[in-house]
Amino acid sequence: MKTALRTTDIATTLDTEVRSSHAAAVRTAALLVLFIGIAAVFSAVLFVNQSLRLDESQSLWQSSRSVWGTILIVSHDVHVPLYHLLLHFSEELFGNGVPTDRMLSFIFFAAAIPVMYKIGSYAYGRSAGIFAALITAVSPFLNWYGNETRMYSMLMFITVLNQYYFIKIYRERRGGWWWYGATALIGSFVHYFFALVLLTQALFYFTNKKLFPRHTLRNFFIVAAIIVIAMAPWFYLVKQSGTFANSSPGLAKPTSIDIFNIFSQFLFGFQTDGLNTIIVALWPLAMLFGFLLLQSRREVSPETAYFFMGFAIPILGAYAVSVIWSPVFLARYLTVAVPSLYLFVSWMLSAYPRAVSRAAKTALVAAMVAGVLVQGVSAATPVKEDYRDASEYLTANAEASDIVIISAPFTIYPVDYYYRGAAAIATLPAWDRYVIGPIPAFSSSTLPAQTTSLTANHDRAWILFSYDQGYQKNIKDYFDRHFQLLDTKNFSPGMTLYLYQIRQAPNLGSLLQVPIQITSSTATSSLSTAIASSTAR
Amino acid sequence: MILDTQDNPEREPLVLPRNEIGHQAILLNIVMALAYFFVIAFLFPVDSRILFAILILGELFHLWQIFTYLHTLWRKERPHAFNPEFQPGVDVFITVAGEPEEVIEETVRAATGMQYPNFTVHILNDGLVAGKANWREPRQVAKKYGVDCITRTMPGGAKAGNINHALAETHEPFAAVFDVDHAPHYDFLTKMMGYFIDPKVGFTQSPQYYRNHWMSGITGGAWEQQELFFGAICRGKDTMNAAFMCGTNMVIRRSALLEAGGMHETSITEDFLTSLFIHARGWKSVYVPEVLAEGLAPEDFRSYYSQQSRWARGSLEMVFRYNPLFKKGLTFSQRIQYLASSSYYLSGAVVFVNALFPLIFFYTGLEPFRASTMALATIFLPYIFLVIYTLQKSTNFSYTFRALGLSMSAFPIQMKAFVQILSGKKAKFVVTSKRKLSGNFAHLAAPHILYVAAAMIGMSYAVWHQGFTASVVDNIAWALFNIAAFTPFIMAALPAARPSRAIEPATAIQPAEKQAIS
Repeated sequence: MKTALRTTDIATTLDTEVRSSHAAAVRTAALLVLFIGIAAVFSAVLFVNQSLRLDESQSLWQSSRSVWGTILIVSHDVHVPLYHLLLHFSEELFGNGVPTDRMLSFIFFAAAIPVMYKIGSYAYGRSAGIFAALITAVSPFLNWYGNETRMYSMLMFITVLNQYYFIKIYRERRGGWWWYGATALIGSFVHYFFALVLLTQALFYFTNKKLFPRHTLRNFFIVAAIIVIAMAPWFYLVKQSGTFANSSPGLAKPTSIDIFNIFSQFLFGFQTDGLNTIIVALWPLAMLFGFLLLQSRREVSPETAYFFMGFAIPILGAYAVSVIWSPVFLARYLTVAVPSLYLFVSWMLSAYPRAVSRAAKTALVAAMVAGVLVQGVSAATPVKEDYRDASEYLTANAEASDIVIISAPFTIYPVDYYYRGAAAIATLPAWDRYVIGPIPAFSSSTLPAQTTSLTANHDRAWILFSYDQGYQKNIKDYFDRHFQLLDTKNFSPGMTLYLYQIRQAPNLGSLLQVPIQITSSTATSSLSTAIASSTAR
Repeated sequence: MILDTQDNPEREPLVLPRNEIGHQAILLNIVMALAYFFVIAFLFPVDSRILFAILILGELFHLWQIFTYLHTLWRKERPHAFNPEFQPGVDVFITVAGEPEEVIEETVRAATGMQYPNFTVHILNDGLVAGKANWREPRQVAKKYGVDCITRTMPGGAKAGNINHALAETHEPFAAVFDVDHAPHYDFLTKMMGYFIDPKVGFTQSPQYYRNHWMSGITGGAWEQQELFFGAICRGKDTMNAAFMCGTNMVIRRSALLEAGGMHETSITEDFLTSLFIHARGWKSVYVPEVLAEGLAPEDFRSYYSQQSRWARGSLEMVFRYNPLFKKGLTFSQRIQYLASSSYYLSGAVVFVNALFPLIFFYTGLEPFRASTMALATIFLPYIFLVIYTLQKSTNFSYTFRALGLSMSAFPIQMKAFVQILSGKKAKFVVTSKRKLSGNFAHLAAPHILYVAAAMIGMSYAVWHQGFTASVVDNIAWALFNIAAFTPFIMAALPAARPSRAIEPATAIQPAEKQAIS
């Protein structure tokens, strides 16, 4: 009787536990679906219908050719080709169009949300995992790149997946190498900066050897060898293209302020200078958050150390390389640091006393949501590029006797995408997209002649400035001195359209003296060389 | 309540861990501290000369504190001779000055239960000279447990006078001293006496463990402060023969004490000063990091405040009246360590002026220097995070924000003690209450409450006046940091919204603490 009762008790207990664990799993799944839903709402309402940006137009242009053509053209660029190939197949399957093309990035972004939960709960428990997933879903930074036709959300997704399998290697001390190796290999073909993830893992391994099972070093070497062998043909292709040396983006050297800005961007998105100043000036609170970590017996786990390294090494490494060698310090390149930062923040806030933890988590989520909304709605968002409005305005207002001048030259791609007007389009400095080689450098001495040639047979000139490469003011000053300014219109931060009255008599002959770029969507692969050496993506 | 840890031979020992911070990290701390000081002292243009001078003085004091702390952490161990067979006679002194009978009884019961072949328990009864109505109770307890009770009839010297009086009445070569609320474990003497095999060892000291640390924010914060002191600091001092007596849970060699002139009755921290004199005469000290007695933390804010006042006053007296730098017979490390411990209580003035800087900016726009806020952050944040890491690692992750907040918030206590010493006001030995005092102690946190109010008004004024500039936002963040640091102190001073937990955890030593056992 007693035994029977005990058996019944055990069965009941087990049943209760199973049911309770099942209920928890259902609750978690429901929460994750909700988080993905939130991201989807942000996407639909705030981001997906925004104007195509310069970088996106480049992605579309690169992936719009055959598979081999796409590989070839990307080999001239500063990127690896996996994302472009996926975009290529996505377009073949689902057609093209800005929302459709952006959907690919959103899929990776949405998929990253449950993976963030997975790694967060694996490292710190369910609560921290849910919080990591939540801040991923409401992250202004990730929402931005989750809705951009670029590889950054894919990079984020593969990074967090790879980190999950990396941690499993030392926590479970058996197997897991296939998944780790596969994600490492895929990541290497998504972005060159994925190498920073592998570098961090190598440093973590060498500083925490005791954590890892036997043969770890051998297995790491095998994974590294596979990656090197797999990438060798790609590097050969890049070398053959002859553009490897020119592939560094044209960025300014970062200052220490940029380090703080990048943290601000990762957490609160791309905000106006005024708002960003307020955010970064609150830095003494970082000290408070650090001191609040002083909690009895809250030891730093290996995962926490790894996540700390996971954002500190890429950021400081890229900063050091930028200062010492060549500038590569750009928030989106450092997307690889975002999952680690979010997981570290999740741990930190979960480690606080309960009341403080709740308040801090609520405040952070509220600030991030506000960041998404402001970033999505505000016309002053610094990363907004409203080429659509500018092009539609030009389509409606530029007449056949006018000329539309685009500067910097490479910004012609997104204008090209939207512009359907009657006036001809040219660039300053003058550039023929069909000629192999970099975009000609600006020269004050050739500016008058180029301007004369461009404007000779036109009544009015529309100049659209965006992406100041250091010579915008020279061009503007020259036009101000020689022509009458009729109108000015601003479309987004850094994007301004000027209309000038041209006073010269028409001279058809001069049209032949400079290469004027007529709207075309049949560019050749030679153009990529020019883009790679002139733009920062 | 006597814990099973107290008389249970099966219990796991609780040893306060040694610091695990490496020499590279210590050197990095030094480099970063110097770099930070260099940057703020020389690279930024000065705004207000007076504020700048005050800031630099404060930073110099911080440098002194960080360097002496790192000096404490440098060595990990110092070998001591130990012979468990060395079992000379010991007089066990339990100092009493009007405490409740049950508290006395608990300690006497624990003391008589010690497993050691040769000791006599004496209750040192100061109740009569202290004018306590219950001064006869210790006699009853002594009678009940068959121990000696020495009742003073001539006042003077407070606790030190009580011990000196008992020394004259007893004869064993060693004396163990316990405050009445610190009950020894059964193995206290067996683990403390073996060190005296070295004839140069003058005293041994073990930690003051607060078994009621789970009870409230005050008891918890007090224990967390003790963990830093009896962990990394005392273990570090021991490596330099600079560990000092802490008034209870200690054993003294009679000859060493008499050579030093007995317990010094001129100071309210008689243990600290007497240690200095014993060391100065070439005696050694041994710090035993294992918890061998369990006591009570002050349970109410008034008692905590009064305990902190006494420590601040007594320690600062050493700086100004017995400065260890000029005391003959001490080694260099002993001088540094004694000065570091006694000068700690000057930090209140530094906390105070640092807290004032944001307020001064809000109301006047003046700052010590003009710098890009991010330029300062670039050097400051890595430095401070390194300091936090060092603090955590060196205390085996036992130090808490609450303890830090209580330490920072003690600035009015420390400044008052400083002013009293400068003005020559005589100190009075106040025994920390062994019973919880009830009431509203908000007036003791008045400076902090005033600070919060002034900061809030100042923030609004600055924003209204200057807008959300980088400097305004930066200073708001500094003020918020100070407010957060003062919050545990203010909360402890205010009347509790709900009564403290009445149920003690199942074991005094929590599972997490067991991890700390080394």
